[in-house]
Amino acid sequence: MRVLTVDDSRTILAMLRHTLSGAGFEVLQAEDGKQGLDILRNEPVDVVITDINMPVMDGIQFIKEVRASGLYQSLPILILTTETSQDKRSEGKAAGGTGWIVKPFEPEKLISVIHRVVH
Amino acid sequence: MSELDEFKATYFDECSELLLELEEQFAAIQSGERTPDRLNAVFRAIHSIKGGAGAFGFSALVGFAHAFETLLDHVRDGRIEMSVEVTGLCIRANDIVADFVTAARNNETLPEHFGAEEKLRFDALCAGENVADLEGELMEEFDLDFTPVRVVLKGDTEPVYEEPDADRFETLPFQAMAGHWTVGFKPHPALYARAGDPLLLFRELASLGDTHVRAMLSPMPVLAEFDAIGSYCAWEITLSSPTVTEAAIREVFEFVEGDCDLTVTELATTQPTALPTEALAPAARAADHGTTLASQSSALSDLVPPAELTQKIDPAPALPKSPVAAAPELARPSPVTEQTPAEDKPSEHKATGVQSIRVDLDKVDRVVNMVGELVITQSMLTQQMDETLRAKYQELVRGLEVLAQTTRGLQDSVMSIRAQPVKSVFSRMPRLVRELAGKTGKKIRLETVGENTEIDKTIIEQLSDPLTHMIRNSADHGIESPAKRSAAGKNETGVIRLSADQAGGNILIVVEDDGAGINRERVLSVARERGVVAPDQQLTDEQIDQLIFAPGFSTADAVSDISGRGVGMDVVLSNIKKIGGSVHVRSITGRGTRMTLRLPLTLAVLDVMLVKVSATPYVIPLSSIVETIQCSRADFGRVPSGGKVLRVRGEYVEVIDLAERFALPNEADTTNRFVVLCETDGSTKVALIVDDIIGQQQVVIKSLEENFERIEGIAGATILGDGHVALIVDVQGLKSMVTHRTAA
Repeated sequence: MRVLTVDDSRTILAMLRHTLSGAGFEVLQAEDGKQGLDILRNEPVDVVITDINMPVMDGIQFIKEVRASGLYQSLPILILTTETSQDKRSEGKAAGGTGWIVKPFEPEKLISVIHRVVH
Repeated sequence: MSELDEFKATYFDECSELLLELEEQFAAIQSGERTPDRLNAVFRAIHSIKGGAGAFGFSALVGFAHAFETLLDHVRDGRIEMSVEVTGLCIRANDIVADFVTAARNNETLPEHFGAEEKLRFDALCAGENVADLEGELMEEFDLDFTPVRVVLKGDTEPVYEEPDADRFETLPFQAMAGHWTVGFKPHPALYARAGDPLLLFRELASLGDTHVRAMLSPMPVLAEFDAIGSYCAWEITLSSPTVTEAAIREVFEFVEGDCDLTVTELATTQPTALPTEALAPAARAADHGTTLASQSSALSDLVPPAELTQKIDPAPALPKSPVAAAPELARPSPVTEQTPAEDKPSEHKATGVQSIRVDLDKVDRVVNMVGELVITQSMLTQQMDETLRAKYQELVRGLEVLAQTTRGLQDSVMSIRAQPVKSVFSRMPRLVRELAGKTGKKIRLETVGENTEIDKTIIEQLSDPLTHMIRNSADHGIESPAKRSAAGKNETGVIRLSADQAGGNILIVVEDDGAGINRERVLSVARERGVVAPDQQLTDEQIDQLIFAPGFSTADAVSDISGRGVGMDVVLSNIKKIGGSVHVRSITGRGTRMTLRLPLTLAVLDVMLVKVSATPYVIPLSSIVETIQCSRADFGRVPSGGKVLRVRGEYVEVIDLAERFALPNEADTTNRFVVLCETDGSTKVALIVDDIIGQQQVVIKSLEENFERIEGIAGATILGDGHVALIVDVQGLKSMVTHRTAA
């Protein structure tokens, strides 16, 4: 299973890769929404994990564009963020996010959340 | 290094970059540029620092960064004004964050109340607003989520996580636990639009206990009215488990809350906890329905009215797909058939791999070298094809063309492995410019272009010093004071533009400023004064401009703190030459100066002139060659000590006969020989006499020192296209050999 991770923090990307590849996922990385879209155009992806606060293109815009493209209506997108405030979640959901993961994530929780949104 | 240490190293690297950026952003904010972009950038940076800190359990840093972030969030939202005081506080807080990071990096402990004062100010500022109560509550909840999770590595590979509150969702008192629940679930179309999938929810419910899922198909329209992305199906799930709670069930639906109609009802009457649940719950239900029950699960299956689509869901991922469940999935790009999930999954997992690998740089270097050789062999082969051969062996020609193309492609890909964006060097410059502006009292803006241009890692490493020097030079000598600029009708703020671009086989790095340009009169008079230029020598403007790179030349009246202490731009030139590049300067009086660095794409391949000395091939690096002259036309002379000199445009240059130097038989007839005029470091010239000049080509440098001793006057060796080994002449080394001997 291929996971696209989108985050401007290299630390978070590295930790996601560690946890996810340890659980048998194939991990793709992007540093902002725009890079994420570029990868989606060229690579098959089963699930996306994206940060909200990013330069160039933030997570909300990224999710909106993914959903608007028509090709990825059923691609599960998890919002990875430390923002636990209700409006950030609703904003992410309104944009088309499938679920969320709160940073700092516990590896088991991360994997279980992914299994919650993808077969 | 354990994985955790590696993450930490990544994190600290990232922190350094983020702190640098924060510093830049705050400096800009302080100078009045309070743009939303900048406020977002600082928020993001602090946010990232906090995020990583949480993962590593740096709780003091998390606490402080969190308070800081909250303040920034308020500023970003316009709830707090970014006044001069707040900016000052932020800059101080930034330093504190840096101290926290340093302490964490060095495993030091800071005083307990370190940063407490600033933190209080943040809280006070944030609480100063009217919505304080609500915010405060939210923030507390927020804090809870930030309980740092400490990662402990067992051995070196298996991460074990100490979860402070693992049973957070199962903490309801035992009394509330009952056996049986009915969950009514009707998804809205939005659930599917957000890639929600009922099947996954059922699977998760099944992990809580025994489930039976029943699909309600009644609202399904006729095909003509069927909307492929609509939602028609509803489900009723019965769940039985002795321990499950309503909270746990609702937790399953956490992500789809609001995107579905959800009802969670407890079927069984709540029983006193003192009684054994296994006996009580089914019995109670059985009594209600007047059914005799053997077990919980059979009881439940009987409880649920028989329906055409009742399924037992296993917690396993391999789920038989019901036709109805598949209906909302019509719009999905990847149709799932009955068998596939079970069969595909394991193989998918097996096939997964990592996206990047760590490779020893030596290995990459070896590949780079070999590809370099391949490129050279290929070009030699192509050169061998003359017209007659071309006509005769057309297939071979075609093959060679394909080979040429593939080789180029291979070279590009291999080079890109070692290439890095110049960003890593460019990013250090804004800070430098800010410091320079501060010291000189000038207003300077730095513009960078082409930061993503990639250059070989080995070159990048040697680029930092020359660039720093060039920018210092621009700021110190190029850009005028604000007063002078306005007097000249220019914008008070001077601009230094730093750009990188790839042009053919070279990388061009340009440092240009819109300053006063080079003061040629002064440059020339200083050069004459210091003996860099002979008093009667006439120079073109361009030659005068190039004088700034002459060794020992510095026009600064007093050696300034900024452009270095007596070290001039000649260092830039020699550094750049060392990596096979060149520097060119162009200046327009009153308009500015442009310095262009031309760098090779790689250090592994060297442009050389192939020469022959006593029928033995030698190569001389092209970058050190000034010109070649036929011996018959050269103006030789002798100095009293017996040495030979060459007179070139009024200058006497020492002559080295390579045949003599390398103890090869001298050719008797010297008229057909050539003089290769070379320039060494610091622009002293030396004339090398060779027997023949064969041509110019690219070679791959091979070190001799691995197998032989270092040989004076030889920089290394290379293998020519025809398989011959040619030694690379070290011009600088030859020159110092000569000097040494003369001195002795």
